[in-house]
Amino acid sequence: MRRPKLTHIFPFLAGIVLVALVMAGSRSETARAAPDAIPVNAPAVQMDNSDCLVCHNRPKFTTSLPNDEKLVLTIDEDKFNKSVHGENQIACTDCHADFTSFPHDDLKANSLREIATTYYTTCQQCHAEQYNKVLDSVHQRALAGGNTNAAVCSDCHNPHEQTRITNKDSGEILITARLHIPQTCASCHSTIYDAYKNSVHGNALTEENNTDVPTCIDCHGVHNIQDPTTVTFRNSTPFLCAKCHTDSTIMDKYGISTNVLNSYVADFHGTTVKLFEEEFPGQPTNKPVCTDCHGVHNISKVDNIEAGIALRENLLIKCQRCHPGATANFPAAWMSHYEPSPEHYPIVYYVNLFYKFFIPTVLGGMTFFVITDIYRRIVNRVKGVRHS
Amino acid sequence: MSKSTTNLYLRFPVLRRIEHLIMLLSFTTLGLTGLPQKYPESSPGAFVLNILGGIETLRLIHRSAAIVMMFGTAYHILVMGYSVFVLRDQMSMLPTIQDAKDGIQALLYNIGIVKTYPQMGRYTFEEKLEYWAFAWGAAVMGATGFFMWNPITATQYLPGQFVPAAKAAHGGEAVLAVLAIIIWHMYGVHIKRFNKAMWTGTQTEHEMLHEHPLELADIKAGIADRRPDAATLRKRKLFYYPIAAIVTVVMLGGIFGFINAEETALTTITPLTETEIYVPQTPQP
Repeated sequence: MRRPKLTHIFPFLAGIVLVALVMAGSRSETARAAPDAIPVNAPAVQMDNSDCLVCHNRPKFTTSLPNDEKLVLTIDEDKFNKSVHGENQIACTDCHADFTSFPHDDLKANSLREIATTYYTTCQQCHAEQYNKVLDSVHQRALAGGNTNAAVCSDCHNPHEQTRITNKDSGEILITARLHIPQTCASCHSTIYDAYKNSVHGNALTEENNTDVPTCIDCHGVHNIQDPTTVTFRNSTPFLCAKCHTDSTIMDKYGISTNVLNSYVADFHGTTVKLFEEEFPGQPTNKPVCTDCHGVHNISKVDNIEAGIALRENLLIKCQRCHPGATANFPAAWMSHYEPSPEHYPIVYYVNLFYKFFIPTVLGGMTFFVITDIYRRIVNRVKGVRHS
Repeated sequence: MSKSTTNLYLRFPVLRRIEHLIMLLSFTTLGLTGLPQKYPESSPGAFVLNILGGIETLRLIHRSAAIVMMFGTAYHILVMGYSVFVLRDQMSMLPTIQDAKDGIQALLYNIGIVKTYPQMGRYTFEEKLEYWAFAWGAAVMGATGFFMWNPITATQYLPGQFVPAAKAAHGGEAVLAVLAIIIWHMYGVHIKRFNKAMWTGTQTEHEMLHEHPLELADIKAGIADRRPDAATLRKRKLFYYPIAAIVTVVMLGGIFGFINAEETALTTITPLTETEIYVPQTPQP
């Protein structure tokens, strides 16, 4: 039997009808009290949430779907009331618009995934902005391509339990919500989460509740998440990392240089990538971006003994990915984000210093001679002297 | 004008003019494709970058021009060898104390301290300065260019730091070379007087009298370079050609090595990690 056993529900029927009649006036008031901003396709005959909960707050209320998956029909009333939807008194029927009367038909779906991938469109009634962003996302593209595992709204935001994410006034993301983000993504991307959790960023977030570090969404975005394996994404990586890593208000706390982007762009690799990013963002370049040396989700501190690339031996392994024949001296060809100075990369420093004086000296001397020659020619012409 | 203006003197045989043309084209190409690499953010730099098809194409053109210049240099060395060992010409391009004196005298003349401009021979101090500046530049650019072209090979023998140092020197030297050409060469042979000798190969007696009076005097006196007689020439060639052949092979090998010493970087990068994207956590309770 797929259907909830109606015989169990039947005794409540009379009560519901009675309550419905008595509460008719106040019910319509409740509907009007819903926030103005939320368009509600009010059904002709409305049922109150409490009507639904008569059945749906029963524990272990489930039904079997044609593919033998179990659909849990129990709604935790307490959790719903604490959720942002509960707080805003969103009616069950706002989303479940095809269940406006009782008894209602079965949900026509073959699998849990089918329910999720057909129901999420209902979110656009109120969350049009977010919904439209999702339409441009890698998740939506995968879904459109037939991959039903691709996340839809309800995979990240359980509509019956999702609490408020942003500050109501400022719109800023709440700290508790921020700390929870990686776990949300982890439900589908668990191996990436494991790598992240152990990275310098993820460790600070999960162990120290540090909100300076990036969560998933800081690099990938929310809702309109783009495919991070594209050339365009790769070419823009340095500027993505630079959003935080050139921000001294964050970096100064940890004694991290904010010159990392400039020093990267000043180098051969970075110059190339920046030019690609600006002129041909969709074309691949074999020059490395931040993540090629520092890692992606598993970024470690540069002085980490095992993987830190401040250690030449560790860096050499990174170099050899693209420069297979590189030997021990090779990593020093990369200036490790240092500005050349007498302490760091002195030869480079002194070469620059040499040309700083050599160029003006030579050109100045040449220019001086040329000017005197012009002067002499003018004087001779004025005086009528033929040039010897 | 007097008869002397129509009396032509051969200054540059056609092969030397071709040599000049090769250097002119390769130098200009190197400058045009090199400076945008040093200043990619500047608007002229970005303009050149775009019309030439982007940074990678620019590098390809730059390196092709460098190869042309390497061949030009090798050819010049062989011709110089022929001039010195076979023809036994005077080594008129070597700098001398007299050149420094001439330079100072020219400067003093220009600012009005001495009354006469120096009289010079086949190559004036200005021309020698430019020649040796070019030679110095070619040596610096060649060496530093090698470090950047073949960083893996270079760092097998030298500290890694030499590679960014080479980049710094290559850029500094480039600015110096291009501006020196604009200031010195432009003025010396285009503005001061449009000197067509490198194109026509000849100068008039009038021009010779003004610019190379000592050489003209030598020619008139019959003590300028004279061709050796046929027998001597054959004997010297017999001696020079095998050596030149060896030198040629060595230089061609050097150029080949310069170009092919290593494959610096893979042209395609494999993704850092092949991650399975969808790995759901074990079902929540």
